[in-house]
Amino acid sequence: MAFNTWVVTCAAVIHRPRRSGGGIHSGPRGLSMSLRRVQAWTKRASTKRPRQFGCHVIEVSGLSKRYASRLAVDEISFSVGEGEVVGFLGPNGAGKSTTLRMITGFLAPSRGQVKVAGIDVDVDPIGARRMIGYMPEGVPLYPEMRVAEYLRYRAALKGVPRREVSSAVERSLDQAAVDDAADRIIGQLSKGYRQRVGLADALVADPPIVILDEPSSGLDPNQIRQVRELLRGFAGQKTVFVSTHILPEVEAICERVVIIHEGKKVGEGAPHELRQQFGGRHLVRLVGRGSLEAFRRALADVEGLREIVALEAEADRVRGTLEVDPNSDASEHVFTAVAAAGLLLRELHVEEASLEAVFGELTTSEEQADAGADVDADADVEERDPGGDPEDDSPEESV
Amino acid sequence: MRSTFVIASREVRSFFASPMAYVVLMVWTLWSGLSYYFFASLYAMNGSQAGTDTPLSSFFGGTILFFLPQLVFVPVLTMRLLADERRSGSLELLLTAPVSEVSVVLGKYLAAMVFWVALWLPSLLYVWITSRFGAVDMGTVAASYVGILGIGVYNMAIGLLASALARNQMIAAVMTFFFLGGLFLLGIGQYVFMDATRDILAYLSVWSHMQDFSKGIVDSRDLVYDGSIAVLALFLSVRALAARRDAA
Repeated sequence: MAFNTWVVTCAAVIHRPRRSGGGIHSGPRGLSMSLRRVQAWTKRASTKRPRQFGCHVIEVSGLSKRYASRLAVDEISFSVGEGEVVGFLGPNGAGKSTTLRMITGFLAPSRGQVKVAGIDVDVDPIGARRMIGYMPEGVPLYPEMRVAEYLRYRAALKGVPRREVSSAVERSLDQAAVDDAADRIIGQLSKGYRQRVGLADALVADPPIVILDEPSSGLDPNQIRQVRELLRGFAGQKTVFVSTHILPEVEAICERVVIIHEGKKVGEGAPHELRQQFGGRHLVRLVGRGSLEAFRRALADVEGLREIVALEAEADRVRGTLEVDPNSDASEHVFTAVAAAGLLLRELHVEEASLEAVFGELTTSEEQADAGADVDADADVEERDPGGDPEDDSPEESV
Repeated sequence: MRSTFVIASREVRSFFASPMAYVVLMVWTLWSGLSYYFFASLYAMNGSQAGTDTPLSSFFGGTILFFLPQLVFVPVLTMRLLADERRSGSLELLLTAPVSEVSVVLGKYLAAMVFWVALWLPSLLYVWITSRFGAVDMGTVAASYVGILGIGVYNMAIGLLASALARNQMIAAVMTFFFLGGLFLLGIGQYVFMDATRDILAYLSVWSHMQDFSKGIVDSRDLVYDGSIAVLALFLSVRALAARRDAA
């Protein structure tokens, strides 16, 4: 965690001079540079992911939403392929919920177009909604109803044939792990249960597309894991588009991420590729036994090693942090070099830059103060506490 | 079509699952029981002065005792319909399900009509009680119920429109109260003004409207009036619901 913070700080320090022309909006250089990188990446990705997902199930093009004087969503375009699990990432107030509401047809876009399974949401809203199971932010439910009763109502409303309602309700209760609460009154449920009733609602008509707004808020770690497993299980069967600002969640379940900030799309790609693209320094940490001198000699000329960031003796051990070339197998070279020098290695692991660093880089602008004000103004739409995640999902590789 | 019934039945079940339903029904039943008792004992004591009036005709629209409570009960029954969904956010779930705004509005309206009918069911008891002590013209009674249904058709539609416009159910209730109260006042104007104004106000008046029905006169102009106000209010409700998509 401390390391991630450190990387974010580093990234900020490294990139500040480049953006001195202005913020991510006004600074033509800063923006165009990162945009060019995104575009370059997107081009590569599209050639790399050829026919796996034949058609785009969600297609958003040039989507904008203006609230009175404020542009909440600004010319966003992206698409989600069939069977993909895609994360929609952005800080609070970035326009995530507004975008989801336009995709589901609850709000009309000011400009732009949304197609769901090839259906233009504006032309045939009901046809488009038939394809979607949606869980809005905050999961508004009818507090006076019982869980199973509510799901039967929703199934009927979504056009599940009468005879299949019971089995559909049972399936969704099971999928969302709320079968033990089927007969309880919604108003008396805990937030975590209500959240999962909302999830069951989204799944009850077995829709090909599932859109979830902050699905894991209010859940405890075990429930979060269950929801993630469920969503991961949908990969290849259902198209899942899930908004979140919890980064480990994205790492854990999404094949691809769309990042937005202040209404604009600022990044798109697979988590690991975004990490490579924007993640800052790649570090290898080691702990070994031997003298500091011997280690210094052994590491002097290792392939892919850029810099010895730190190397210090601690009793009979040596601890080191090395910056390596992200695209080399530097950790292997470090291992062989140390072994060849006859030294003992107790620990060696690659600390990949986290998605947090990417997120920090893409969504930190010079006008942080302004952004803060915006978040306040949008508080009624996007009010969430950050929901700390106890799991440490930062990927690491041990040798 | 199915979604209209699904929405209506959920609304009705939720209403009767809430304590408010029973408070409203109890207060209403007390009020109408008292006013029926009042007319019954009045005519029992001065039978000769009654003329063509009967306890039932007075009960169904002869006096202000019939109209006053409606100004309170209609707003209370309709204020939640859409305003509450909007406040709690469940409107988002309702309108992202594959249902049209028309079926949402019709479903809510159907539920409101069920509430209205539930309000008047106990009054059948008074008809039965009266028939045990004297002759009751069932044709007149049927006409009275047609009139009551007609009033419900447009009262509930106006309540629903207010609920579609307001975000807060109290505001919806106040809007309905003033609209219905205004119509009632305009109706009283027929006793104040002359000529054409008088005729227009008489046409708008719920009072003369109900006085006819309670005497067994079914005037199709009144039913057309009820129906057209209801259709207009429902149409505006659908538009209000659809317009929300473009708003902030």
